[in-house]
Amino acid sequence: MGRLHLSYLDGRMYTCKYCYTHLALVDDIISKTFHCNNGKAYLFNKAVNVSLGEKAERMMTTGLHTVADLFCIACGSIVGWKYEVAPDRIQKYKEGKYILVMRKVVDFDGTNLGGGNESQAGASDADDAGY
Amino acid sequence: MEMSSSDKVGTKDLIRRCEFVRVIIQSLYSLGYWKSASLLEEESRIMLQSPEISLFQSQILEGKWDESIATLDCIRELSPEARNSAVFLILQQKFWEYLDRDDTSEALVILRGRMSQLGVDKGKLHMLACCIISRSKREEIGRKLKGGDESRRKLLNELRLIIPPSIMIPEGRLEHLAELALLLQHERCIYHNSPKDSISLYSDHHCGPDQIPTQTLQILHQHEHEVWYVQFSNKGDYLASSSRDYNAVIWTVAGDGDISLKHILRGHQKPVSLVAWSPDDKLLLTCGNRELVKVWDVQTGNCKVTIGKGSSGFSSCAWFPDSQRIVCGLCDNGICIYDLEGVEHDTWRGERMPKISDLSVTPDGMNLISICDEKDIRIYALEAKTERVISENQSIMSLFVSKDGQYLLVNLNNQEIHIWDVCGTWRVPLKYMGHKQGQYVIRSCFGGFDNAFVASGSEDAQVYIWHRQSCKLVAQLSGHSSMVNCVSWNPANPKLMASASDDCTIRIWGVQQARPSLKNHAHASHGTCI
Repeated sequence: MGRLHLSYLDGRMYTCKYCYTHLALVDDIISKTFHCNNGKAYLFNKAVNVSLGEKAERMMTTGLHTVADLFCIACGSIVGWKYEVAPDRIQKYKEGKYILVMRKVVDFDGTNLGGGNESQAGASDADDAGY
Repeated sequence: MEMSSSDKVGTKDLIRRCEFVRVIIQSLYSLGYWKSASLLEEESRIMLQSPEISLFQSQILEGKWDESIATLDCIRELSPEARNSAVFLILQQKFWEYLDRDDTSEALVILRGRMSQLGVDKGKLHMLACCIISRSKREEIGRKLKGGDESRRKLLNELRLIIPPSIMIPEGRLEHLAELALLLQHERCIYHNSPKDSISLYSDHHCGPDQIPTQTLQILHQHEHEVWYVQFSNKGDYLASSSRDYNAVIWTVAGDGDISLKHILRGHQKPVSLVAWSPDDKLLLTCGNRELVKVWDVQTGNCKVTIGKGSSGFSSCAWFPDSQRIVCGLCDNGICIYDLEGVEHDTWRGERMPKISDLSVTPDGMNLISICDEKDIRIYALEAKTERVISENQSIMSLFVSKDGQYLLVNLNNQEIHIWDVCGTWRVPLKYMGHKQGQYVIRSCFGGFDNAFVASGSEDAQVYIWHRQSCKLVAQLSGHSSMVNCVSWNPANPKLMASASDDCTIRIWGVQQARPSLKNHAHASHGTCI
């Protein structure tokens, strides 16, 4: 596979649950109120060590979004998705931002935040009225 | 004998006959063929220079200053400013010659008289006046006259710059034109891999692709897993490789380019991500991936020192030119300098320190170049303690510094390779494209005669070679069955190159004539040249 070029983060962060590759910093969390079929998900400003899947349109509770799945570049496990295109002005803030599904990641101190069993990363999200 | 009366020579209607002949006459004179030169002048009825100019030249060389000025006035094509500048130079020479004879009163007369009437820069006059008084000032301007001849010849050359070239042709004109043509041919030759003076005047020069290493000469099967790094020693007589199998290997390079195993270096507990030859080629550094750094003796194959026990590991390491100290990039931010006993000499640590992914010290010891926080190239001048940063827009995968310390090469995430100059005069980098590079560390290097080429590995299992100056892709070498991680061009043999691949082999590339047969049950392969 060659020598993978990995980015390394400092501080409290989330890492891939299976291979502990660094994914995103706690400081980069924009919102903690997202949900999917797989449980809680957080919206991040930036994620590293992820590769993007094909763009696809998915119907979320807030409308039809164009998203691309995120895969850990070290082990290939699916960890969330990235918003590419939002349907309207209110949802626009999500464009270019990353969702990490909590069941697929692990806190820096090793606590698994998702809990429960895994299934395909979901297709619905819900917004807090405040955002 | 018939003489063509046409005005132009050559096939492109560019060269004037009269100019061509005069330039030939000049070069005949300078080659010492005086008889031929004057015979040519007679036969062609074209004079190298008018009789006034010849007179002028001899007057200058003989020191007949006033006569030379009078001759100058006879030359009609001279503009008044040019005339004044020329006269100033002649009088200045007269002035200096008086001063050297310690005839200061005469020198003063010239200065006060004709020189100040010429209307030239007052500053120059004042400087000359100082020279009358102070001997040290004279020396400062570097006037060390041994005899009149040398400085008079220099004066003549300076006058040639003022007098229009059609009246007095600059020295060595034909040689200069020929050299320009040869240089242009050399620049255009994208496969050129030998000294510049191998270009002949007899035919237009262009090399074929057979000049660069494109044929697999040997395949080395020693490693048991992906080979991540390969590098020839500074003198080119050894090769070192490192692999995901936790080992590094030292190979011997024979005079004919044949490579054989010398030592297997075992000891790392992680994949070995790079090796580094000490500038004197006596020691080898190996760096485990975010692990320890080990120093090995090249001749015995023994590990002399292990550095970094108890630390979070190193991302990269490099030698200082004295072969006595090494600098390492720390995984938990910062840089550390160690000596050969493993003792820390200097360290920059802490929260604010950047993450170093690769580093190098220029061979003259002037600069420490490091890749910081993935996108910055920091060039730190070790003595002046100043830093310059080049920021790239994409993540940098690897760094390579040229042997002369003038240029650095970086492989970027967006499938481009950039060259920057270490001095910092370039606003934009030279760019090379065509290879495949995604998330894996792919390394490149300079190579060939005079660093004429850039070579790189690629994720599509090929080795790519570009002509450095023109950025043109000149070869794509296939043979490896998996990603090529690193290439190294032999510094002593411009026709030998090595590549390291995920297919667990190292391939040695060379040119066709060198070796007709292949070694080690290798599969033949050929490169395609563009």
